[in-house]
Amino acid sequence: MMNIPCPFCGARNESEFAYGGPVKPDRPDPNAVPDEDWTAYLTRVPNPLGPVQERWHHVRGCGTWLTIWRDTRTHDIVEGPSDAG
Amino acid sequence: MAYDVEILRLSPFALFDLKGAAEALEDWAPELSGLPGDPNALARNGEVLHCHVGPQHWLLRAPLEEENRLDAALRPNTAPPEISLVRVSDTLTFFRLTGPDAGEVLSIGCPLDLLPGVFGDTAVSFTELFGLKALVLRCAGGFEIAVEQSYGDMIADYLARATV
Ligand SMILES: [Zn+2]
Repeated sequence: MMNIPCPFCGARNESEFAYGGPVKPDRPDPNAVPDEDWTAYLTRVPNPLGPVQERWHHVRGCGTWLTIWRDTRTHDIVEGPSDAG
Repeated sequence: MAYDVEILRLSPFALFDLKGAAEALEDWAPELSGLPGDPNALARNGEVLHCHVGPQHWLLRAPLEEENRLDAALRPNTAPPEISLVRVSDTLTFFRLTGPDAGEVLSIGCPLDLLPGVFGDTAVSFTELFGLKALVLRCAGGFEIAVEQSYGDMIADYLARATV
């Protein structure tokens, strides 16, 4: 079980949250990028071995949406890479 | 294992769901002055509770007899667009668990740390109870919980089974 930090409630049990999926890169303009990049945006889900940025919804709590970095190897909630947006 | 706890299903309360900035809500209805600012904190004024349950989100609970008076004071239908006041009295069913084992029983289905140093007299929070979203707060001698009204019978059954 993860203890997920909610900005309103503080650390709460994972079971109070709903997973909102990984944060995707910004949507490119399909007319301005090659088809390959557009297809990649549509179909590739970020799934790194290591830190991944994710959205979680405190659905059984205060209702806040939040963003964390989770290390897929350990489930630890970690600092994001320094060059991350 | 038998628990030393008394479980009581409470009769309905007057409930209002309040959203918006605290100042805007208090300006609109002086009735709402003193909304608690700390997250997951509640303010008691006699039998009236103001619960801070989310960002810019409060729940007002009062005895059911107060419902019409509150409706007139809060004027939900004419509120400005930046705030929202909705009468939700029908949506939640409350239970009261009192006795030495009230916390033990609650902790069967609730992941919150309910120890007094963490969850004190002025604490209130939506959390999880037997997999459902539930409101939890303290009362004299134990806790009060609320779940969506349609789950009332189910939670009554769960609590009864958990405490056999
Ligand atoms: Zn929260």
